[in-house]
Order: sequence, then structure tokens, then C-alpha cells
Amino acid sequence: MPASEELKALLDKMPAVDQRGMFTDRYAPEQPRKDPKEAPDPAKEKERRETAERVMREQGMDKERIDAAIAEIQKMGRDGVLGLIDLLVPPGGGDDVKPHYALHALAIAVCKIEDKEPRQVFSEAVASQLGGTRPKGVQAYLCQELGVAGGKEVAPALGKLLTDEELCDWAIRSLVAIGDGAAEQLRAALPNATGKCRLAIIQNLGVVKDEKSVDALKAAAADQDREIRLAALWGLANIGDPGSVDLLLKAADAEPGWERIQATKACLMLAEKLLANRKDDAVKIYTRLRDTRTDPSEKYVKDAAEKAIASAK
Amino acid sequence: MASSISRRHFLKGSALGAGLLIVPRHVLGGPDQTPPSRKLGGALIGCGGRGGGTFGELSRMHGRGNDAKAPFTVERLADCDVRFADRADNKRTYTDFRRVVERKDIDLVAIGTPPHWHALISIAAMEAGKDVISEKPMTRFIAEGRAVVTAAHRYGRIFQVGTFSRYGESRQARNIQIHKAFMAGLIPKSDVVLHRKGGFKVKEWSGLVNVQPQPVPRNLDWDMYCGPSPLRPYHPHRVGGTHRGYWDYEGGGLTDMGQHHLDGLHWVYGRDMTSPVSSEPYAPPAHPEACGLWGWVEHTYADGLTLIIESGEWGKPYDRKQGKGINLDTLDEETKKKLAALPNPEPLVPFAEAVVTRRQGEGNDPESFHRTATILHLTNIAIRVGRKINYDPVKEQIVGDDEANRLVNQPMRAPWHL
Repeated sequence: MPASEELKALLDKMPAVDQRGMFTDRYAPEQPRKDPKEAPDPAKEKERRETAERVMREQGMDKERIDAAIAEIQKMGRDGVLGLIDLLVPPGGGDDVKPHYALHALAIAVCKIEDKEPRQVFSEAVASQLGGTRPKGVQAYLCQELGVAGGKEVAPALGKLLTDEELCDWAIRSLVAIGDGAAEQLRAALPNATGKCRLAIIQNLGVVKDEKSVDALKAAAADQDREIRLAALWGLANIGDPGSVDLLLKAADAEPGWERIQATKACLMLAEKLLANRKDDAVKIYTRLRDTRTDPSEKYVKDAAEKAIASAK
Repeated sequence: MASSISRRHFLKGSALGAGLLIVPRHVLGGPDQTPPSRKLGGALIGCGGRGGGTFGELSRMHGRGNDAKAPFTVERLADCDVRFADRADNKRTYTDFRRVVERKDIDLVAIGTPPHWHALISIAAMEAGKDVISEKPMTRFIAEGRAVVTAAHRYGRIFQVGTFSRYGESRQARNIQIHKAFMAGLIPKSDVVLHRKGGFKVKEWSGLVNVQPQPVPRNLDWDMYCGPSPLRPYHPHRVGGTHRGYWDYEGGGLTDMGQHHLDGLHWVYGRDMTSPVSSEPYAPPAHPEACGLWGWVEHTYADGLTLIIESGEWGKPYDRKQGKGINLDTLDEETKKKLAALPNPEPLVPFAEAVVTRRQGEGNDPESFHRTATILHLTNIAIRVGRKINYDPVKEQIVGDDEANRLVNQPMRAPWHL
């Protein structure tokens, strides 16, 4: 939906980029003098200050002016959101400083309102623009903003992007930030995911502690790709799956190096999670690590395991 | 025999004091050799502006007098930086810190990267058995700090942050008494108002709001630079000092300078084991990617203590409460007696000494640094969401505001995670 004239007028109240390329109210810096020791011209200084103050009031980081304009955009509901999105361009695609900032300020504003409807209107409007023909750079930004203000209602829209190489990372991080509904989307996308999308999904199934994905993670723990294996091992540990004890201990027998370090970490994490309700399994992990870390370079692991065994008694 | 006794194992049993520094050569080294325990292998990860200084901290003996010498020397065996993409040999120079921490000859790691990497590399190094000094701020968000503390405890590693204001503050007699009073719970309710204004370099470390993509330089591994943060189009302002102006890597001048300004004050007023329960901002709406202007944030602790952090660079000055210290002379007699009976805290233990004794002591431990960083992050969260937030300092979660709570534990880009 094209931005209305009303919306454009409100966007004019967003801050202007200053002479540093920032929002730091540096609109009329002092002009360099031929002789730095020479005192500044009082008249010119006064004019400079007054100009800076005026520009700041009209275009600078004036909280009241910006908040008021955002409140008016918020009242426009879905049309306001879509109008802003229509003005967005991908990075390098032109100047969208004001709508870019306004959309985020709006995301923040709707989260402040006690009534949940404005937030829902905002996030559903943003989510409706995913997966279509908008440039990927714009969709990435929309995903980011859903991570700010989105709720469970936008999980399916984000879920559609989980196998898109350019957008999966943006979508996944926002899904996980929202939390509610994330596991279902990640699980559904996994069978068709490849490459970095697959890695991100596997890792984040562990982040959200999705117990329904334990079998999938166990399978991934034997993957040819080391990053996939490590993500799966960590995920199983973070979930605290007692059925993964032997699998993790076997993985921790890897040759010295990063994989062994990370698999050992997964073992220790799992043991900590099992200590309260499955002490025998936890002690099994610690005992195995204690007994197998005989090289002086791994004494710190042995010491950690011994300390844990002593505490468990 | 020498090969079967690790130098750490031997030193663990040694007493504190001058005798600690003398290791029998017949145990740990042959004739005419520097005992291995006197020389440790070090690595610098993040070799930019602060790198050399941070590496030097591995053997500094803060708080032990100007003539104090470290109980070991550190040999710099590896330099790692994502800007070595065109010359990394994976023997002396690296771009991937994982190859560095895998090395068995590295004992100590100094981290001088931008802050979005501080926690992950600290944790990885400790998982690999190394002790760590990290540049400040300790972390980029709150959950990272808890993960670092957990890793240090899990692996029994020494971890410190390169800020030193608490050394000076913790040696002043009056500060010691205030610290004791708060730490012992002798002041259950406090009307202290601490007001830190200025010195946060807000405008200096703001970000560009119209970043136009540029080609990635040949020497830079941009994917690795971004690491856990979003992979955005490259721009030189996002790298090399000016990275401070972006939420992706830091939190503006506040997090760059805040750990220095607040650390000592934190120790004095016994805040090392807790955090504020509310944080209220006065700031314009924040930009989504670029750090920018803010006015102040008022933090309140459960015991009533107020901490105001004010930039002095935007908006109307803070005028709600007057600054107010504590006058121990006004304590009742019974409380004064209890205070007088309490022993003074041990002097803070510098990193080099902690490496040898395997004791960090109270006040210079990961939890303390994490709690100071937490104030900075709560300040920024309040600024970014533009509203008062309530915080549970035990669960380390923002209460009653799911959207704000998303900034406590920010999802990372795969394969990176806490």
C-alpha cells in the first residue's frame, strides 16, 4: 500500500540525519578557523548556535515530537504499517532512513500499549509482507522487527522462510526470540532444510529445548558435517535428554581438538541437568570423564568431574 | 617424573607468598632451564587497538605494589584476528579462535575483540582449559554473563575483566567499611542515591543511520567478524573502534566506558551479587541498529538504593532525586559494633596471582564483573524499549514484559550459541 500524504507528513517529523551521518544532533558544527588560536566570532557563534537549536527542534532527536508523530502513525493501523513498509528499500537501495526508523519506533510504541490489539495489528501487517515479492533485504528487516514486537500469531509467516538461504537466519532468530510457536515451525521445516538453514534449525531446536526433536537431533549427531554434529550434541544436552547419555559420552571420545572439547561440554551440561532427578546417569557421565581424561592437558576436566562426583555424594 | 606432574597441579599445593614463586627445578625443569611453571603460553584473540594492552594484563599484579612481579612470564604464542584473512598461517597467526584454544601449549588467553565475541571466546577458552582476561564490557547481553560465570565454575578457570577501578576503591578505609556494611546485610534499607553523570562518550560512539554497503576488504573475514551477530552488508564503520556504535557488536559509549565508571562503585556499595529491580529511562526512541542519544536511566535496587546513570549529552538534566551517600556515623550503636567486629575483606586478587593460586577471592570474580555489566545492559534495554522495566535479579529475567525480556538473551546466528 503506497504511503499516504498524511503518512509522509508524519515521516517528515522523524529526525534528520546530521552531518556525521547519525542521529546525534550535530547539525551546525563549528566552522574550522584559519588560526585555531583565534577566538571564534561571537556573532557567527550565536548564529550557529541558534541554527543548531532550531534545526534540532524541527529535525533532531526531540522525543516529544517523535513520540507524537509515531502515535499518529499508530492510529492509522494496518494502513500506516503497510505505507511505511512500502517506502523501505534494501541496504544500498536508496534512502529510507525515516521510514526505517519510524517502523522500529512504531514496533516499540505498540509494545508499550496495555491493550494488545495494536501490537497484534502491527505484527500481522508486517508478517503479511513476508514471502512475497519484496526485496530480501527488506524482508530481513521485517523479520527483525517481528523479533521486536511479534507474537505467536506471526510464527507461521516466519516459518515459511526457514528454508530460504538468505532469510532463514533472520526468521529463525526472531522466531526464537518470540518463543511461543517456534518449536513447531522449526520441526516442520527441518526435513526440507539444507545447508546453513539446516544447521540453524538443528541448533535452535536445542535452544528452544524441543523434546519432540530428540530423535531428529540424535540422528543429526552422526552427520558428516561437524557443525551439525556439534549443534545436535549441544541441543540434546540443553534439552537434558537422559536417553542421550551414551551417545554424548561416545562423542566425547573424539580425537583431541575442538570437537572433543565441545562434546565434553555437552556431557558436563547434560550431567548437570540430570543431577537432581537422575543422579546415577549424572555420576556415570562424571565417572567416565574422570577416568578417561588422563592427559595432563585435560586434567582440568578430570578435576571438574571429580569435584562433581564428590558433590553428588 | 617431571612430565607426569603438571605445573598447575604442583602450584595448587603451594602456599601464598614469596615461596610460591620458587619451584624446585629438579621437579619441573632440568639444570639451566627456566622452570616450565615460570613461563606460560599466551594467546591474544583480537589484535586491534586494545589488544597489546590486554595481553600485558595477563601478568600485571594490580594492587600488589609497583614492584610486584608476576609469578610467571607469558610467551605470546598466537595472535588471532579476523583481519588476518590474507596472512593467517594457523601456526602463529589465525583468524579462527577455535584453532587457538585447541593448542595444548596455550595456558592463558587475552581477548581484545569487539564485545559481541567476548563471552563466546571466553567460554570456549575456559572449556579448553585456559584462564582468561577479557576486555570490557564483559558481555553484549545479560545471559552471556551468566554463561561465562557458569563456564568459569564448571571448569575451575580464572576469569577477569580488564577494569581496575575497584582496586583503588577497595583500598580506601571508608569504602571498606561501607562495603562491609552492605555485604553483611547491616543496611537492609538504603536511601543512598548514586548519580554518575557524563563520561559515557555517547555522541562519540554513535552509529551511522544510513549505512551503504561496501566491498569487504581482502584481509577481513566478515562472516567470522559478525559471528553470533546478524550478517549484515559490510561497512567500515562497523569495524575497528567505531563498531561501538552498533547494537550488533556493543552498546554505544555506555558499555564501552560504563564498566570502568561503575565497577568500583559497585564494589563499594556491595552490589556484586545483585542487580536493580527496576530501570526507568528518559531517552528518545532508539534506532534499531545504531546506538544513539539518551538522557538518563534511573535504577532502583530491592533495598532502596538508587543508581542514576546520566549521559549529560541529551535532553533535560535528571532532577528527580538528589545524590546522597551514606554516613556510617549515623548507624545505631549496635550496628556499629557489629560492623567493627567484622573482618576486612581480603585484598582483591590480581589475575596473575589467581592463575597461580587458583583462587580469585571475593570481589574480583566472574560474578562481580557480570553484575556490573548487567547494569549497563539493563540501562540499554530500558533505552531501547523506551519504558520502565522490572527485573528479577535472581532469575535474571525482565518481569511482565516479554518483548523487553527478549533483549536479555538474544538469539545468536548459527553455529554460535551460549
